[in-house]
Amino acid sequence: MPDWLAYVNDHLGRVSLPEAESLQVREELATHLEDAYLSLRENGVSESAAIRLVCRQVSSWQELRRGILAAKSEAFMQNRVSQLWIPGLVTFFGSEVLLVVFDVLGLKPLVFHPGDPSSIVFYFPWLLSLPLFGALGAYLSLRARGQGLPVHCASLFPALIMAAVLIVVLVVALVLDRHASFRIVTSVFAAAIINWICLPAIFLLLGSTLLQLAMKRRAAAD
Amino acid sequence: MIRTELKRGTAEIAILSVLEQQPLHGYEISRRIERDSGGALRFTLAALYPLLYRMEKRGWVRGDWETSDNGRRRRCYKLLPSGRKMLAPLRAEWADLFRAMRRVARVNHA
Repeated sequence: MPDWLAYVNDHLGRVSLPEAESLQVREELATHLEDAYLSLRENGVSESAAIRLVCRQVSSWQELRRGILAAKSEAFMQNRVSQLWIPGLVTFFGSEVLLVVFDVLGLKPLVFHPGDPSSIVFYFPWLLSLPLFGALGAYLSLRARGQGLPVHCASLFPALIMAAVLIVVLVVALVLDRHASFRIVTSVFAAAIINWICLPAIFLLLGSTLLQLAMKRRAAAD
Repeated sequence: MIRTELKRGTAEIAILSVLEQQPLHGYEISRRIERDSGGALRFTLAALYPLLYRMEKRGWVRGDWETSDNGRRRRCYKLLPSGRKMLAPLRAEWADLFRAMRRVARVNHA
């Protein structure tokens, strides 16, 4: 019997999918061709005719490759929206709205070295609310069958957005104000990283981790 | 455009319908559809597998690898509850289409 997996590998070419997924697709196609071949042989078709008929089942390998990639990438985009973008944006907007509410209510942050542009700000009420948002992001992502990186990114989304904003601000500041002291800019930037990225990320991750542990424990108990 | 959508719609309802009866692997799905349609519907690999993968990602079907007694590994597709839910509206749409075509083009289904 012909090696149908080798035949598929030769004709399908490179499929831009993760290695494990690509191998499964190839194995499945090879199995299909093998089944078709065995069925023809059982019906008394000669080996050479069976091989010829089976090979005719794929009129265009290029079309097959394109179709598989389109189906897989459609799914990838759908997953990315439901597992990352929607949970991430809910987490981000929820946490930002609460920050504004706390500010309007007059809750002041604890500031170390006030007046210094590189002061460290502990926005305690807001920071303490972040585990809830981290857990919410992780929950929404997990509910959409997310796992691994998309779940972490969804729960850390507010911190990731702040990181992106700070990078843009830093680049713009360095380009527009060339006379600014590099030392001052970097110390302000370092403080901003601690205040708006590292501290929120720790609290968001705490909520996400606790939720995932609780869900794992519940699943084990079930 | 209509042709492509129509073909995809035909294929979707055909696959869901055969999987409603029992879980099947890819080759069996194509054979069953071909047999039940009297040879009128035939799937090429390029039509079948992209559609199965799309339906799987939509949560309508699930493919699980199984090893048979002779040691061959095959991916067996099973209809999921969301896929089962899709069948009723799809059947209603097709029934509407047949009725409309009967009126407009005097097309009769056997």
